[in-house]
Amino acid sequence: MTTNAKDVRKTWEKIADYFRAHSIWMKWYCTGCGAIEMPPTMTSRFDMERLGMGPMATPRQADVLLITGYLSAKTLRRVIYSYEQMQDPKYVVGFGSCTLNGGIYFDSYATMTRLDHYLPVDLYIAGCMPRPEAIMNSFDTLIKMIEKGEAKGWKHYQENHEWYRRNQLHSLKEVYVKDEFHE
Amino acid sequence: MNLVNFAYGLLLLLAAFVFQTTLTGINRKVVARLQRRRGPKFYQQFIDIFKALSKGSTTHGWVFDFGVIMALGGIMATAIFIPFGPLKAVPGMDNIFIIAYVLAVGMLGMAMSASGSGNPWASIGVSRALTNMLAYDIPFMMVVFGLIFAFDSSSLSGLAAIQREGGLLGWNVLRFPLGGIVAMISLQGMLGKKPFDSFIAPAEIASGPMVEYGGRHLGMLFLLHEYSTFIEVSLIVHLFFGGGATVLEFMVKYAVIYTFLNLVSNVLPRFKIDQAVTFFYKVPLAMAVVQTFLIIFLGMGVA
Amino acid sequence: MNSTNKLVEEIRQRFEIIDVIHPDDQQVILDIDKMHLHTLLSHLKADGFRQLSLLSAVDWIKDNIFELVYIVFNWDTGVHVLARVKLPRDNPRFRTITPIYPGAQYYERDVHEFFGIEFEGNPMSYKPLFLELWDEMPPMRKDFDPEAYSREKFPERVYVPHFVPKVEVIE
Repeated sequence: MTTNAKDVRKTWEKIADYFRAHSIWMKWYCTGCGAIEMPPTMTSRFDMERLGMGPMATPRQADVLLITGYLSAKTLRRVIYSYEQMQDPKYVVGFGSCTLNGGIYFDSYATMTRLDHYLPVDLYIAGCMPRPEAIMNSFDTLIKMIEKGEAKGWKHYQENHEWYRRNQLHSLKEVYVKDEFHE
Repeated sequence: MNLVNFAYGLLLLLAAFVFQTTLTGINRKVVARLQRRRGPKFYQQFIDIFKALSKGSTTHGWVFDFGVIMALGGIMATAIFIPFGPLKAVPGMDNIFIIAYVLAVGMLGMAMSASGSGNPWASIGVSRALTNMLAYDIPFMMVVFGLIFAFDSSSLSGLAAIQREGGLLGWNVLRFPLGGIVAMISLQGMLGKKPFDSFIAPAEIASGPMVEYGGRHLGMLFLLHEYSTFIEVSLIVHLFFGGGATVLEFMVKYAVIYTFLNLVSNVLPRFKIDQAVTFFYKVPLAMAVVQTFLIIFLGMGVA
Repeated sequence: MNSTNKLVEEIRQRFEIIDVIHPDDQQVILDIDKMHLHTLLSHLKADGFRQLSLLSAVDWIKDNIFELVYIVFNWDTGVHVLARVKLPRDNPRFRTITPIYPGAQYYERDVHEFFGIEFEGNPMSYKPLFLELWDEMPPMRKDFDPEAYSREKFPERVYVPHFVPKVEVIE
């Protein structure tokens, strides 16, 4: 792998990446059944707070968008909105085989088959469902990736925004959030 | 005011930040142990704050930006007036009235900024926060006026020195036990800890006033929170627990009170805002009235 | 004998029932002509069946009909009555039941969206409920191919096999 000027981090970025790696605030986009694996990960048994991770209330405050489970065309619009509200640097973690390749409902008219077509996914957690052990393990990987400066999905999204936009529009026609309850 | 005062003030701000943030980190660990978890590192709070400051952030108009800066500036300016044990950046200015007024600048800045974000959750949060403030301030200020009346002094370090003359029994919390209880309950409300944390309820109103803050703005908000905690707990330490003859004494008292409040907070559920107001206007206000009556008309507890 | 016999007798006297099935002690299935459904439902509602539990549709593509299924429930006796009507599959239209059960509003929108059945007299039923920006045929119809739609709209991940085992068949 060649290193070009863009990949070299300045000293302050290395320090900042240390802080970013050890304080991971997450926005859980709990659409599917995967949400049920988060409470044991958070509470006494697996205790994610010891790695500096924690849930956050709004996308503005969060660093990681954790998508647990199926995305339908309708929720994907909301996810893209949420992702674009987050502040740089931001990371996306796809959770479960449903975000990876569509899982068991790969042929449904309503569900996405691959998330990285629409958002820059830094890390996938395979499994249906991934156990809390798998979640902790993958977040350990994410921490190492951020520390080394390898988790650059947000930069990829900025640089290839046209491509992502095209995919989003192809599948969703229009990325908008408008329903009768918000009129 | 001269250059020495200025340098002293900056040093005090730094010390207050390091002390309070470490204490918050330790308290997160204490809470984790209470819940039978390992808990984060004790310096986790520093990592969180510096990370938030290292991130980018968006603006929602100049009111939003200016409000945060005004709030942080106001709170930091207030923190300078607080004596850190015997250390005082601006001697002779540690008056309760000055602190109460300058503190309001910070609170208003916060309310302005949060409302400026235009998010309905933020408006709900701000209105709840201000209602909460109105609820705890009245009993608290009533007790404080009683103290000022009793000792003819409104200087924090002066009141602390008077208490220290009487030894342990001279502490106001033992001389005026009703007032001490009111002050501790009010402090719980000031710090926004349970059961009075309905204005930041993360699951119900998406963390209230903080809903639109991210990155650098959120980092400043965390700084602000540390400083305002420092101011509020220090007030109680000086007014009711004899302040500190040495820096160490002050820090120990401060840490014990803060940890105690945190433990109380973690075994209680949350009041709705109307329940909180009703509670404050029923129990603590009645106790404060009785306490002030005892001080003014019977002179009980006044040496 | 079961507890619903009296109810069924009463209904038989008033309406033309095509068929009655008793799947359970407390459940009755009535096949009824679509002319009589509204009078049946208003009679049942007056009789204590206050709750509309479900309105849904079934696509019988071989018979070329849609079947609308109305389930009403009586909280006092605990009896479910399921009324079924058949509609022609091409240009399916039916009269709304929102004047009888106002809660049917969302069910009718749902059925209209997923099966394309139009409910006359309910202008709200044309509003989309679940599917945003849907442009294909209603997706719950049997002649809709969800897999082809999914392949066209949502590209799938292509896996490159790293290792293909050679299998020898031993005679």
